[in-house]
Amino acid sequence: MKHSRLASTILAMGLGLPGLALAAPFECPSRGGDIMFGQEANVNSLDQMTSSTISTRNIAMNIYETLMTRDENNRPILELAESMEESGDGLTYTFKLRPGITFHNGKPMTSADVAASFNRYNRIGLQRSTLDNVAGWDTPDPMTFVIRMKQPQPTFIEALSSFSVPIVVIPSEHENDDRQQLRTVGTGPFRLMEFVPGSHARLGRFDAYRPNTSFEQRTGFGGYRVACVDTVTFRIVTEASARVAGLETGALQAVEDVPTRSLDSLRRNTAITILPLQNWWIQIALPNTANPPVNNLNFRRAVQAALGMEDIMDAATDGNFRLNVGFQFPNQPSYTDAGKETYNINDQARARALLRESGYRNEPIVILTNRDYPPMYNAALVMQQQMRAIGINANLRVVDWPTSVQMSQRVNSDEWHFFHSGWGTQPALGALATMQFLVSPNAQYRPRDEVDDPEVLAAWNAMNNERTAEARQAAFATMQRMILERVYALPFGSLTKVQAVRSNVQGFVPFRIPRFSNVWVQR
Amino acid sequence: MIGVAFRRLLSAIPVLFIVSLITFGLMRLIPGDPAAAIAGSGATPAEIERLRRDLNLDQPVLMQLVDYYQGLAQGNLGRSLLLGTGVFAATMERLPVTIGLSLYALVFTLLIGLASGIIAALRQNTWADQAAMMFAMIGISVPNFFLGLLMIILFAVHLGWLPSGGYVPFSQDPMGWLQSLAMPAFSLALLQAGLLARITRSSMLEVLRQDYIRTAKAKGLSQRKVVLKHALSNALIPIVTVVGIIVSLLMSGAVVTEALFSIPGMGQLLTQAVLSRDYPMVQGGLLLVTTFLVMVNIAVDVLYAVLDPRVRYE
Repeated sequence: MKHSRLASTILAMGLGLPGLALAAPFECPSRGGDIMFGQEANVNSLDQMTSSTISTRNIAMNIYETLMTRDENNRPILELAESMEESGDGLTYTFKLRPGITFHNGKPMTSADVAASFNRYNRIGLQRSTLDNVAGWDTPDPMTFVIRMKQPQPTFIEALSSFSVPIVVIPSEHENDDRQQLRTVGTGPFRLMEFVPGSHARLGRFDAYRPNTSFEQRTGFGGYRVACVDTVTFRIVTEASARVAGLETGALQAVEDVPTRSLDSLRRNTAITILPLQNWWIQIALPNTANPPVNNLNFRRAVQAALGMEDIMDAATDGNFRLNVGFQFPNQPSYTDAGKETYNINDQARARALLRESGYRNEPIVILTNRDYPPMYNAALVMQQQMRAIGINANLRVVDWPTSVQMSQRVNSDEWHFFHSGWGTQPALGALATMQFLVSPNAQYRPRDEVDDPEVLAAWNAMNNERTAEARQAAFATMQRMILERVYALPFGSLTKVQAVRSNVQGFVPFRIPRFSNVWVQR
Repeated sequence: MIGVAFRRLLSAIPVLFIVSLITFGLMRLIPGDPAAAIAGSGATPAEIERLRRDLNLDQPVLMQLVDYYQGLAQGNLGRSLLLGTGVFAATMERLPVTIGLSLYALVFTLLIGLASGIIAALRQNTWADQAAMMFAMIGISVPNFFLGLLMIILFAVHLGWLPSGGYVPFSQDPMGWLQSLAMPAFSLALLQAGLLARITRSSMLEVLRQDYIRTAKAKGLSQRKVVLKHALSNALIPIVTVVGIIVSLLMSGAVVTEALFSIPGMGQLLTQAVLSRDYPMVQGGLLLVTTFLVMVNIAVDVLYAVLDPRVRYE
């Protein structure tokens, strides 16, 4: 069996490092204690296969594990598998499972459980299109799991290791559990003790957990993970002020999404540590290119030239942002600044000239936004003013988030011209997951009569089908440049989400989920 | 009396039918696709369509309505799209929390509202009257959300007397329940207490001017007896009617309070269900809440007849 380059890279990352590294595996400086985490959003279910919400992922990914996941920089790594080999023809992926893994119910994990997990995901998993190109899977022995492809898919590993709606491994006897009714038994460092929807989820340390010795430290969603504390309780505290009050009183030991207005007072409090999580999401507006005058490239370029991203992002985030060209975060290997000359132009004279060229006749322009996500509303408000400043008759249409999404998805809609959104999970997953938003048949693409821009489509196909990672990255850079130059999207910058912990909580590093492995309470 | 209650129950059936129909219609009329909401922003149209089929949302609206009423006739409120559990079970988990909070707030409302209303009436045009009415005005004017925040800062952050949020079930720890709901109940109660104080004051003033009160005083009865036995019992008649409405207002006000104090009640459940377009949860949840409120109002009607022998329901 011959390894593909990507697979070899993964193997090197997953298995090669221990031999190179000299550091000892992580050990808890102290054990015991309880942590209460204030979570901003409600959790309906802990069924990670059928929920796409961040709030579910926050909790469930401390409980469940997958064959492959992502590291600190969102690169694919092995988790429940100790090795993965891709056949030379790209049609088979063979996973050897890590020995000695047990579920929280005490049952040893085998390939039958992995197969059952794939079966359930293929039946009701929210993103089961991940498996559309998979012909089937086999379990030649209890520790081997084989995925057979219909045709080679160079990006399959990227999709398989996605943490958006991951294929978590569950005991085979739970295969037929209904949607949102999955019994919460995984292989992760924490097991579920109690779940009261709308109130809290309490997790306890899983004493039989076996860390992944291919690593020395926690990384991303995986790595060498150890539960140091006895329990972690995720308490739902939707009101930001109440989260801050809970942190100040010590009722909460960690919180997410600290409002900017509270930061000064919290910084003065020596019992609290502020932890900014940069690159949480990309603030973005999507032009409706099916609707005149936005179908006119000069009009779109006029808008692009008028926008000052600092003002927009400042209003959107209360100052917690980074300017950022394009569709990836700067800390990612896939990041490119291709098309940077289109970003943050803020030149009213140029914008007015382009507007004249477009033949714009003061038609009302509708900016579609919502108040459910204040950053989107605030960004839309400033964008409206900047468009008015160059003579565009821009108006806001404010609805709730589900309504705005539905309106934005109607083909050839004439109800709106710019739709405000935020992309968080997809940019973190990589270029492929992000750029799917800009080609059909994705729900957020809206070319006239659903006819794609052929050059953008060609770049997208290259991103998917080129055999080497370098060629795919080059295709991504091309696609980003074209999207920005043709103004099919207006990314404003990346938003920083602020988390905070009591100072005696150690080892907590902000990430896309609050990770409580390798976190301890200083006594 | 049983006949009155029975007739009231029968008249509640069309009310509940109309509520269920309006809720069903409104949920279908407002834009927003539950399948798209559940699938998340990264979903493709094919995935959304597949989920729509999984959830039976691809059926014509009329079919969905027929299914809904068939289910209701069998006592089945359906399954929540978001929770995956039965609507009845989900509601029964949350409704007692909201009812508990509302009743706790009602106790505060009655204590504060009645006491300040009576004092204001008895000391009409004195500083006590002015103070009581100013208090009532503040209660009516200050949003309970803002009051709740102030209370958290004072009683949780600075004084550390009460928890800043969270909920302790009564069955687990009655004292913890009282503590965890003290601030939410008080902040919820203050608005209604202000309202009740003003109504109590005007009702008491009207009764206190009646001839039989003058007669009672002339007979040499003590002030306490005149107020509590003769004046208050008669002034209570309009007040009891208002209490039925106050219970409804407390339950709807709980939506904001529950969010602020992280209480897993109906308010949070229904808000989230509406935002996610969880049709069965909104329809079933609202129907059960309406049923509860109808029951409260029937109880008030019956109580009204008990308090005032002149009232006869034909």
